[in-house]
Amino acid sequence: MTTGTYRQWVSRATPGCVVILLDRSDSMKLTWGTSGGSLAAGAALAVNNILLDMCVKATIEVNAPVRHYFDVGVFSYGARITGPGGEGVESAFSGTLAGRGLVPLPELAANPVAVREEPSIDAMPVSVKMPVWVDPVHGYRTPMCQAVEVAGAHVFDWVSAHPDSFPPIVINITDGMVTDSPHQGATLHDWAKRLTSIETSDGPALFFNVFLSPTASQEIVFPSGPAGLPMPGPELFALSSELPPPMAENARADGYDVRQGARGLAFNVGRSTLLRVLQIGTRVPDRSR
Amino acid sequence: MTPVHAWPVVFSAAKKGNDPWEWEDGAAAAPADVTGRGPRFAMADGATEGFGSTRWAMQLVEGFLAADVELTERSLLGWASRAQHEWRHDPLLSGATGLELFKLDSVGAFATFLGCEFADLGGRRPHWRAVALGDTVLFHVRHGKLIAQFPEISIDGFGVNPSGVPTARDALPGVIDQMGFAEGDLAPGDLVYLATDAFAHWMVRECHEDQEQLWSVLAGLNHPKRFLALVDDRRATREMANDDVTLMRISVAATWPDQLVVCV
Repeated sequence: MTTGTYRQWVSRATPGCVVILLDRSDSMKLTWGTSGGSLAAGAALAVNNILLDMCVKATIEVNAPVRHYFDVGVFSYGARITGPGGEGVESAFSGTLAGRGLVPLPELAANPVAVREEPSIDAMPVSVKMPVWVDPVHGYRTPMCQAVEVAGAHVFDWVSAHPDSFPPIVINITDGMVTDSPHQGATLHDWAKRLTSIETSDGPALFFNVFLSPTASQEIVFPSGPAGLPMPGPELFALSSELPPPMAENARADGYDVRQGARGLAFNVGRSTLLRVLQIGTRVPDRSR
Repeated sequence: MTPVHAWPVVFSAAKKGNDPWEWEDGAAAAPADVTGRGPRFAMADGATEGFGSTRWAMQLVEGFLAADVELTERSLLGWASRAQHEWRHDPLLSGATGLELFKLDSVGAFATFLGCEFADLGGRRPHWRAVALGDTVLFHVRHGKLIAQFPEISIDGFGVNPSGVPTARDALPGVIDQMGFAEGDLAPGDLVYLATDAFAHWMVRECHEDQEQLWSVLAGLNHPKRFLALVDDRRATREMANDDVTLMRISVAATWPDQLVVCV
């Protein structure tokens, strides 16, 4: 059962918070279906697309600053590309934003690491010029517990500063099994529980999971029960928050069969579905007019 | 016949948390002109998710007043096409960033619209005629009772995806086909209100509950601060959505008011 109301509108007075946890483990090097690119490349492409979406939504008028509707963080787990390298969790931003945790949307919009030709997300044989904030990286194992821990620390601080905002949304994109559970004596389930116990007056933080599969498999999006999910589906189902009513409505509007109790979990998704899930998961109550 | 006169007053409030200049509705009025055309009133509500929505809303309402626009589909198509051209070729856009140009092309702007003309005010049958697209609403009140609402939207009918006038050129003809038209007779003492959706939604609900009280409150609004207080109170109790709100009250009387009040 969802315990929050999840009705607060996102505005500059009550901005939202979106955190993406991006698996950069070694298995992300595998080719993603028929796309020709790796899971890491496809995931980075989807993340860059959703960040661009958020910046575009907050761009209201010429010569006006991008509006501060969200604070956004992208944290990678697996291979580290800064500091000592090796395995760990770090901000996935590079360039000016390297090492930053949650970044206000106007600052994000102003500081992509590059603007370059990128393939279309929906496998069309075209490319478009777009800003890039996150690059594909892969290596090492899957320290997902640490990633949730890091996200939780940022989310906790953010909620203290924004007690009446729409609750933080944390979306985990992974292709594998957690390799660091238990971490500091707590299992992945415990870490997820700690994360979702952080709440604003509008409800508890939301934790959604997206599982990528390199092979073409049946996509399962927003299931209402764990039955029939291949491994590690049942575990990810148990970790994932129930879709709050506004997101369930968004998902239905996008054509998904969302039933009572559906969770924020997408399993074996392709690239375009990944982006759609990210869009649904980050579209919170606002004035569409 | 004794001529009747009409004059408007406009109240507005931006979303709570926004600055007043971020109000994204548009409202305008023009007196009768020398050609015999009656006074005109227009209101538009720009989509927050759009790009340049405020300019678009203002372009629509000003174009409706200034241009030689008739309340026919053909003439309205010409009006909206001209507004699109002016919006798209606004000199301001010469300073647009890549992100802004991307949104201009991929999303554009969109606004609900209501335009109204009073006609034959000095003749046998003073009346209003209106055109509407979306959920900006006209309410016609006589002796403290609602006698017409246009468009007729029920309490549950106010949605977040209403029809509206887009900046996308290809979409325009289909949209103009959806425009609704209505008219009603006017009499001295009538009050005609135009309101954008959040305020109109509240009005429809209040009208259902206690319309005498509603029309008494709105007729008595005599200062922008009173309007702001009304809106703040209703937002605080969640009776009114936190959206930009605009209310135009048009008074119809046999004589002009004997005082002009300017609120500063």
